[in-house]
Amino acid sequence: MFKDITLGQFYPADSVIHRLDPRVKLAGTLIYIITLFIGKSFFMYIPAGVFLVSVIILSKVPPSFVIRGVKPIIPLIIISAVFNLILTPGNALVSFWIINITSEGIYMAIFMIVRLLFLITGASILTLTTTPTKLTDGIEKGLRFLTVFKVPVHEIAMMMSIALRFIPILVEETDKIKKAQMARGADFESGNIIKRAKAMIPLLVPLFVSAFRRAGDLAMAMEARCYHGSEGRSRMKPLVYARRDFIAYSIILGYLALMIVLRVFGI
Amino acid sequence: MELRAENIVYEYDAGTGYAKRALDGIDLTIREDEFIGLIGHTGSGKSTLIQHLNGLLKATEGRVLWNGRDIYSQGFYRREFRGHVGLVFQYPEYQLFETTVLKDVCFGPKNLGLSDEEAESRAKEALAMTGISEKNYETSPFELSGGQKRRVAIAGVLAMRPEILILDEPTAGLDPGGRDEILGSVARIQKETGSSVVLVSHSMDDVAEYVKRIVVIDKGHIAFDDKPVRVFSHIEELESMGLSAPQITYVMHELRKAGFDADTNALTIKEAADSILSCLNIKIHGSAD
Repeated sequence: MFKDITLGQFYPADSVIHRLDPRVKLAGTLIYIITLFIGKSFFMYIPAGVFLVSVIILSKVPPSFVIRGVKPIIPLIIISAVFNLILTPGNALVSFWIINITSEGIYMAIFMIVRLLFLITGASILTLTTTPTKLTDGIEKGLRFLTVFKVPVHEIAMMMSIALRFIPILVEETDKIKKAQMARGADFESGNIIKRAKAMIPLLVPLFVSAFRRAGDLAMAMEARCYHGSEGRSRMKPLVYARRDFIAYSIILGYLALMIVLRVFGI
Repeated sequence: MELRAENIVYEYDAGTGYAKRALDGIDLTIREDEFIGLIGHTGSGKSTLIQHLNGLLKATEGRVLWNGRDIYSQGFYRREFRGHVGLVFQYPEYQLFETTVLKDVCFGPKNLGLSDEEAESRAKEALAMTGISEKNYETSPFELSGGQKRRVAIAGVLAMRPEILILDEPTAGLDPGGRDEILGSVARIQKETGSSVVLVSHSMDDVAEYVKRIVVIDKGHIAFDDKPVRVFSHIEELESMGLSAPQITYVMHELRKAGFDADTNALTIKEAADSILSCLNIKIHGSAD
């Protein structure tokens, strides 16, 4: 049942985007999201779309794979579109009961759909082209400056990478327990919401028990290898910027500048 | 009572580019009062096969018939059917969830729609069969030892009074003592209840002593389906599948090579010991002549 979730999944391929330093990709994604919120018109989303499509092409990730990652978010997109559609004031086109559909509403709804689609696709490109390890490495090194403010950056990054690492394991475990309880006649599919929620207990209790057991085992294994946090810890593959990373940075900054200019001149 | 798998084919990720055939035309019939060992190397498809036998997986091709009725057909009560064909997964202790041992074992029979009293009496019966003492009924299953947890989990399936009990590697991760205890109780349950038992394992030593029929599965095919003695005579084929004959069989073959009249069909330690004693007797006798 979790097989279709590609959001947050890594797609192995040999591309420029894959080889980029994770810090570049993190910064790029952040800037891209900011520009989406700078954008106020469809016209401004043309460069954003061009930017996104060229990154997808460069990344060599099949478009079908990218689209599959958007699927779980569709309900969210629909909800926000509906709210924009009926709650935006303006010239009423259709109105019945308390609902007013305005031309501004239609415009806003479509605009929100495009914005959310761009947002999610952009974010999923980051995880599709970056392994969880590299991603956390990038976060750790990119946010290193926060240690000045006593933020435990290394610990947070380690927790993130462990959490990501455990997702597939727990998914597999859930499937196993589900089957085992079904073999004992458990029914996860029929009944009303309350009955279904109750039916989850035989699934969730063993899952939590096993998650704690695994966490305990992992902590023990880490201690056995003398893990003691970030202090004095070196890396096998330290992150070093290459020429392509600086080129990527300048492209991203150029794109940001373009979007700001477009916004300032109000096109 | 008859459970018949006909030409079962199962593909993982069927219909995509990564389709992988786990089972490739399996025919298997299980009848009343049988004790079967299902043997295969890791990845041979044995765990996939048993999930077909109680309808947890749906075959890509082929059918599974329960007393002649297709279990995938419309209107077939698969939930009730899972009470007839009880499946105990690997490491079943990880599926315990209730607050007390007794309640956990009641989960299965209650799902079959039985009354609380009936479920409880079946649970007690099942716990007695697996050797869990009465003083543990009200303890939390999480406080028990590993071997006890596993026996409680097996009781959880047994309490549904299955006509066929399938156990996937019930001895995995147990010490030799725990292993003998579990296998001993399974053999006793088979004898007492007259239900059929399928013991899934990758080790011939586990099953040789108890089962009356061995099904060897290799790369999604059934390689052998015969009496243990006959299956063990194919030592070389078994080894090419990454399996081996029981240690006893090897000892007896070596003895025979060394010129003793050892019985290579011996399956248990006792049979082997008797055979060795008797051929030693003859030897001693012969040399005295």
